[in-house]
Amino acid sequence: MISLRGVTLTYPNGVRALDDVDLEVAKGSFVFLVGHSGTGKSSLLKLLYREMRPTAGEVTVDNIRVDKLRRSRVPALRRNIGVVFQDFKLLTHKTVWENVAFALQVTGANTKDVKRQVPRSLDLVGLSHKSRMLPSELSGGEQQRAAIARALVNNPKILLCDEPTGNLDPSNTTEIMELLQRINLKGTTVLVATHNAAAVDRMRRRVVRLEDGRILHDDERGYYFRGLGQTQVLSG
Amino acid sequence: MDWGKLKFFLGEVGTNFTRNAAMQFTAIGTVAVTIVLLGAFLYVRDTLTSFGTGMLSKIEVAVYLADDVDDTQAKAIAVKFAQDRRIAGAAYIPKREGLRRMRSLLGKDFDTSLLTSNPLPNAFHVRVREPDAVPAVAASIAKYPGVAKTDYAADTVTKLLRIADLLGRVGLVMIGLLVVTAAIIIANTIRLTVFARRREIAIMQLVGATNMYIRMPFIAEGMLAGILGAAVALGVLFVARLELIPKLAATLAFVPFHANEPLLAGQCLAVGAAVGFIAAWFSVGRYLRV
Repeated sequence: MISLRGVTLTYPNGVRALDDVDLEVAKGSFVFLVGHSGTGKSSLLKLLYREMRPTAGEVTVDNIRVDKLRRSRVPALRRNIGVVFQDFKLLTHKTVWENVAFALQVTGANTKDVKRQVPRSLDLVGLSHKSRMLPSELSGGEQQRAAIARALVNNPKILLCDEPTGNLDPSNTTEIMELLQRINLKGTTVLVATHNAAAVDRMRRRVVRLEDGRILHDDERGYYFRGLGQTQVLSG
Repeated sequence: MDWGKLKFFLGEVGTNFTRNAAMQFTAIGTVAVTIVLLGAFLYVRDTLTSFGTGMLSKIEVAVYLADDVDDTQAKAIAVKFAQDRRIAGAAYIPKREGLRRMRSLLGKDFDTSLLTSNPLPNAFHVRVREPDAVPAVAASIAKYPGVAKTDYAADTVTKLLRIADLLGRVGLVMIGLLVVTAAIIIANTIRLTVFARRREIAIMQLVGATNMYIRMPFIAEGMLAGILGAAVALGVLFVARLELIPKLAATLAFVPFHANEPLLAGQCLAVGAAVGFIAAWFSVGRYLRV
């Protein structure tokens, strides 16, 4: 589903965000991208939805060479990829329902589809009862769920999450992670860049650790720190 | 037609349009001023052109005969006119007819009853085929025996047309500059809207809206400002026409005030819409580079 081959990304200021990265992500899998801030997690996600282009190497998403994609084809790519951020990026003057519908409306969906898809997506994240509220009336966890509903309303094959729980307390974090797991079980490929060691350790999913723009290790059913559960780190 | 889609789109345009009311007002005002000038200019140009070409097609050489020329001699002169290829035709205007025409032309302004005798000579009005040939024809007729004087207005008319042409060029340049100014003001207004909506634009791009789709509400906003400005301008021009033209026409009786008004109104609206469109296209485009 996702494939990076020899991907290098150098910023104009000379900083090397990614350095010869190879990564394969199978369809329907769930992958954590972990590592310190500035180790290239966000940059890697940005390459996938073509917010950036690699300096060298190949980026393939759903059989599309994203690095070579013409600008006019980018919207079509992004309709296949849902993206969720730490700061939710909800529109404050629109209700939850309108925020979710917005993603469909601006891609030219007709009213019938909007009326069918939005409730389905809100139901999936458990926000149907708050659809008329403004984001400011919701808790952080609920706002993130609204953002996830928006990311999913197009039925994307891939969901990318950049620090989705960065602004959330532990109980909301757990809720969001469980939601992402549910979404993954429905067949969506999920990539989560995160700092949250506890959440990663609880999930026991594939963990890819980036350090200085390189993949340091890549474990199926891994921990945030290799070989160590979070509890061991805390007690040690 | 999907009414939900249309409602959403119009809602977006409405939000854009009302976000910077003061700037929007300035933009509409600038377009209005520009289009008032454009409309007035086009009207004057139309009038001058139709006036000038009307006169040019009617250019005649007035041939005044000496007082002692009798009918036989006048007929001989008429025959010579008929032989001249450059001459399209000639009409004989006896002095009594000349006076009658002068009376009807001047109306009450000139009291001809005060005249004790008819001061006008017998005359021919000679129509020339090509306006360019008028001076030469007039000169050769002047040498005919019995001809006292020839007179023609060609010089004045060609000068008038040349001045109209020059005014037209200068006016077009000035109006071009005004149009550019209006476009810049609209573009700035839209840039403010674009800036105010940068979060929405970012999300639109993220979820896969096409650049064309993102542009459309802003383009509609620009065109709306342009068309509203043009509409205000047309209102002003309409009132001006009702109030001003009858007064001008009374003063300048010989100028036929005339223009194709529906066409002018259409041109003004089209210029307004085009200015808005171009301004919006460029000001949004700069924000859409991925």
